[in-house]
Amino acid sequence: MGREKARRLSGSRHFRQRLVLATLTCSPVTIEDIRSGDAAPGLRPHEVSLLRLLDKISDHHSIDLNETGTKLRYKPGVIIGGKNLEHDCGVHRGIGYFLEPLILLGLFARAPISIRLKGITNDTKDPSVDTFRMSTLHMLKHFGVPIEGLELKIDSRGSPPLGGGEVFLQATHWIEEGMVKRIRGVSFSTRVSAQIEHRIIYAARGIFNRFIPDVHIFTDHRSGPTGGKSAGYGVSLVAETTTGCLLSIDATVSYPNVDEINDDSERPELMSPEDLGVQAASMLLEEVAQGGVVDSTHQGLLFILCALCPPDVTKVRVGQLTPHAIETLRNIRDFLDVKFIIKPDPNSNTVTLKCMGAGVKNLARKIS
Amino acid sequence: MPPADTGGGEQPHKAHRQSKSGAKARKKKGKGKGDEAGGDQKNPKAFAFKSAVKAKRLQSRAAEIEQRRLHVPIMDRSIGEPPPFVVVVQGPPQVGKSLLIKCLVKRYTKQNLSEVCGPITVVSGKSRRVQFLECPNDINGMIDAAKIADLALLLIDGSYGFEMDTFEFLNIMQVHGFPRVMGVLTHIDNFKDPKKLRKTKQRLKHRFWAEIKEGAKLFYMSGLDNGKYNKRDVNNLARFISVMKPVPLSWRMAHPYLLVDRFEDVHITGAGDFSLSGVTGLADPCPLPSAAKKRGLRDKEKLFYAPMSGLGDLLYDKDAVYININDHLVQFSKNDDNDAPKKQGKGNDVGVALVKNLQNTRYSVDEKLEQSFINFFGRRPAAQSMESNVEDNVISASQQDKKDANLRNTGTMESNGHSECSSDSEEDNDDDTQINDRDVDLREEVEFHNGRLRRRAVSTNFEDVDEEVTDEDEDEDEDEDDSNKEDSGDGQFSGGSVSSDDSGEANDSDGESENASKWKESLLARTLSSRSANLMQLVYGQQSSKLEGMVSKDNSGETDSSDEEFFVPKGQKKQAKNELPSFDDIDAEDCSKFIKADQRDWSNEQLINSIRDRFVTGNWSKAALRGKELNENGEEDEEIYGDFEDLETGELKEEMEIRKQLNISELNELDEDTRVEIEGFRTGTYVRLEVRDVPFELVEHFDPRHPILVGGIGLGEDNTGYMQVPFRITATGWIQEFNNSARIVKKIKLTGEPCKIFKKTALIKGMFTSALEVARFEGAAIRTAAKIEPGDMLKRKGENIEGIARCTFEDKILMSDIVFLRAWVNVDVPTYCNLVTTALQPREQAWQGMRTTAELRRAHNIPIPHNKDSVYKPIERKPRKFNPLEIPAKLQHLLPFKSKPKDTPKQKKVPIEKRVPVVMDPIERRKHAALQQLMLLKHEKARKKRVKEEKKKKAYEAEKAKTELLTKKRQREERRERYREEDKRQKRARR
Repeated sequence: MGREKARRLSGSRHFRQRLVLATLTCSPVTIEDIRSGDAAPGLRPHEVSLLRLLDKISDHHSIDLNETGTKLRYKPGVIIGGKNLEHDCGVHRGIGYFLEPLILLGLFARAPISIRLKGITNDTKDPSVDTFRMSTLHMLKHFGVPIEGLELKIDSRGSPPLGGGEVFLQATHWIEEGMVKRIRGVSFSTRVSAQIEHRIIYAARGIFNRFIPDVHIFTDHRSGPTGGKSAGYGVSLVAETTTGCLLSIDATVSYPNVDEINDDSERPELMSPEDLGVQAASMLLEEVAQGGVVDSTHQGLLFILCALCPPDVTKVRVGQLTPHAIETLRNIRDFLDVKFIIKPDPNSNTVTLKCMGAGVKNLARKIS
Repeated sequence: MPPADTGGGEQPHKAHRQSKSGAKARKKKGKGKGDEAGGDQKNPKAFAFKSAVKAKRLQSRAAEIEQRRLHVPIMDRSIGEPPPFVVVVQGPPQVGKSLLIKCLVKRYTKQNLSEVCGPITVVSGKSRRVQFLECPNDINGMIDAAKIADLALLLIDGSYGFEMDTFEFLNIMQVHGFPRVMGVLTHIDNFKDPKKLRKTKQRLKHRFWAEIKEGAKLFYMSGLDNGKYNKRDVNNLARFISVMKPVPLSWRMAHPYLLVDRFEDVHITGAGDFSLSGVTGLADPCPLPSAAKKRGLRDKEKLFYAPMSGLGDLLYDKDAVYININDHLVQFSKNDDNDAPKKQGKGNDVGVALVKNLQNTRYSVDEKLEQSFINFFGRRPAAQSMESNVEDNVISASQQDKKDANLRNTGTMESNGHSECSSDSEEDNDDDTQINDRDVDLREEVEFHNGRLRRRAVSTNFEDVDEEVTDEDEDEDEDEDDSNKEDSGDGQFSGGSVSSDDSGEANDSDGESENASKWKESLLARTLSSRSANLMQLVYGQQSSKLEGMVSKDNSGETDSSDEEFFVPKGQKKQAKNELPSFDDIDAEDCSKFIKADQRDWSNEQLINSIRDRFVTGNWSKAALRGKELNENGEEDEEIYGDFEDLETGELKEEMEIRKQLNISELNELDEDTRVEIEGFRTGTYVRLEVRDVPFELVEHFDPRHPILVGGIGLGEDNTGYMQVPFRITATGWIQEFNNSARIVKKIKLTGEPCKIFKKTALIKGMFTSALEVARFEGAAIRTAAKIEPGDMLKRKGENIEGIARCTFEDKILMSDIVFLRAWVNVDVPTYCNLVTTALQPREQAWQGMRTTAELRRAHNIPIPHNKDSVYKPIERKPRKFNPLEIPAKLQHLLPFKSKPKDTPKQKKVPIEKRVPVVMDPIERRKHAALQQLMLLKHEKARKKRVKEEKKKKAYEAEKAKTELLTKKRQREERRERYREEDKRQKRARR
């Protein structure tokens, strides 16, 4: 009777989160003014690709897009999941862009999701697949998700499939950061000399040696068909603490994206492997300095997981809140009506967040 | 009587003292002696196992009982004061429900209740309240009652037996989690014969057990004394109720009919879904007594709250006070001041005084009302600025008034079962008022409600009202306050100073802004004052609309304070530095990775030292210190976290308990307002719900005897979808699976016949009508009737006739074969949602959701549509004609002789040209003729003989038939005679 049906939002920001939260809360959303003032209005190819992905894994939903792509009406359905799915993520954003929402949706799917994603494994904007494998999937462990159900395999630099699971979340208290006991990492290179990786690792080790001796960075050199189509190299590093927290970063160097290349302009000079190694190592140390149980990239995901928990108190500690995390908190407030108590801890320069989970249940699953 | 279920574990119980004298002691003594002295019992073997089989059987029985007792523990998340224990009294009409409630209330509070109307709450123990609710006798009322019942008393008329109502209610309860159930047998004093009574009791008990479980409690009300139940019986029943513990039902947890927190949309049963415009906690009208150490309850503490039964006299709400005096008890004319009602406490005097004061006003009620209308009119814009999302039309103002006033006290909802649906609180009063002031300015609204006159007095600054009221008082210049508070930093706002600050503000507020929908602002104000406010405010802002502005403003204001600098969102700093997408850019790039723009040089010794202790190579004690700081906040977190993994595998129950304790400890750290914001209202809180745009019928047809429930709508519950239920869809079906899209399909067979056959493919016509259709089914499996195994491909063929498809088969098909394609067609089920709106019409009227098609046809006189194709017709099948097998000559040539067709078919008659002609000579001819004649004679004779015999036989048959008829007649006569005789004999014998 007197109830508003669809949430009205505007702008393309936090597109993924909005869609994910709308799906999990089964509330329809209408997003308006998507880049309406832009020279190229409407949804970008990667956003459309994300909608396609949603379309693939869910059922009985409706996605309406107007002609210019500036207005989207999304009515979520049930996440079905399933095996042998395949999705082409395109070349505009990395696979990390798709994996972040997919991981959340996979937890609330009717059947486990097993999907083969094809696209860019490492790029500068999104967390790389290595980060996902080494750190993100382990994060879910703290919420009671069995790690065995999750699997991410990199077939070739270009197309990793993901095995999803279905779980019961449980509230957690995760505030002990611990101390960094080891640093692991994977460097990769495609269609370049294998020597480059060693140069990266050498540079990074140079910095880490001042702190900790237990540093191992593996190399993953790809050539031939498994190496994708374009040249690039990068590294992702994970610092593991004594309490099982994983702080990860990644850095990649590659030629600019297809849509950014102009025909007449020359290929820009790439960062040297040594610089990349130093940069990656500095970034990791920066994360360590910030503290918290997760790195800055995973803050948003962590908060969403907290909010989805059963109605128990969840307490987590993170470093500085990133803008993305702050926006995530707002989105959570809007969609799930969960507010966090945010308490700064001046001693360690970290922030403690507490919340009461919304108790989101997997409605799609069949009751036996 | 002290409640038996209180969990006051610390207090040591008095040790049991054995009586040393008296009958009991003697009895015990004798018993003991018998055992000792006798040494041998009368039958020592009676209690030992004699057979292994029996022992085993008993053992397995014990194990079975043990197993049945086990259940998966359910986490009880309710914290704080327990909500009232809801006792639903249900039974068929005239069974004595109201009387039972009256008797129980009398037992608890020593007050007589004239009528039972709506829920009645009584304080029954130090930490226990009991709420009685009479279940109405219709299905909707039963469903509502089953949703909130903690204990159902099923009243059964013993003189009549079970009635369907009881079973219906049991069935409904089963769907709603099945609360505790107790049977109460009434009307058993009608039995004169004690044996019959006993038998009846037993029979009913067993029937009751069959329905619930073996050993379910069935209570007997032995009879009436002075129109009331036997005091002893009522006492016993009350004791049973007080020891009953509520079971944590998982259904209840999933369906917040009791606890509405956090749910924006509510569902009022029988009215529809609404958005909640406000929830506020109120002081409990029937609070638990203070937890002082004493036994039992004092009479003063035996509180009693029955808002609809005409008992409570003065009622404080957030913004109004309701004085409720029965007309026959007091008369409000100026002169008889001394005629005060007897049954009034302290509060009542205030109420009476208020009403008396009303008589001093200069205007009549009508004038007042009109004035208030104008006030209301004038004040609207100011209010609207605060609540931008509420659209109130002035036209409906009077109606809303009525709604508002009437809807008070309608509800039995929420965690503690009572709360109000008040639609609005728009009556604001401009004048300052003091209670004892001579010139008190009050408005009065008179309405005839539920058979009695109610007067509602509205005042703005009613000091006594409630703490809540003063808390809510925040005036318009909210923003100013906010900024003040922000500037002063968080140190100033310790928890203690907050309340006084607020109340001070409230006291001197000019009383013009008491608006219910401002709870948000006031909440925000409180949030501001808490310690962690700054960061939280940065994140959540004031309201989403003000968000961006707020953040940027705060940021600029706070960057210079050193303490806050660290916690400024990085985006802000960055934004200034390197022109990245700004914070309020609605089209900002969606990227979770956060790249720091400036990179510090980590080879710097100072920097290295700053994080040295974060590594295992660093100083462990310093690192531990870092963690310690946190532990002060979160007490025993670390050990719990450590135990976590073990517990998961181990005791589930223990883990739950730990988790609960953890929750409580975490939540108790917070101040009250933040806690409410985070957790919502706790169970057992008395809350006020504001619901706008409620149809006025809800008020018009309000019947206090019917409970009104408000339930939260869970995630995904308001979506339309399909449910899979194991049996027919009824009120009691349980759902196996919830599907937003169940595929309901219908089988369809497309048939066609070949029009041209190639080797293994054929062109099929008649199956499709267009090339498009063919394209749709490309690749589909097809079959033929002659069981030629499935062909698999369907390709369209560009022929001039549309819809001819080329199909591949395993083998060559025949022209006579029917080819068919089995397919499934999705059937769309029209979605239609019609909420049951029984509360919006007189309760006695039967609710009709919609008319069936048949009813509609009948009403509009529309004939049933007749589809000719749907009529069954006899199937005509022509016999198949098989053509002879033709083997090509080439193939024949290659075949071995055995397999070669032998083309000399056998003929019946020799053709004329092959016959041999016979020519007879004259002698032979004569012989032949003579022979023929002889044969003719013989045949003629035989024929004559046959005819004669036939005639004879016929005559004989006729004769025989005649005699047979006579025989039959005689036999029948004989038989009749015999039967008659027999009958007579029997009759005689019976006599």
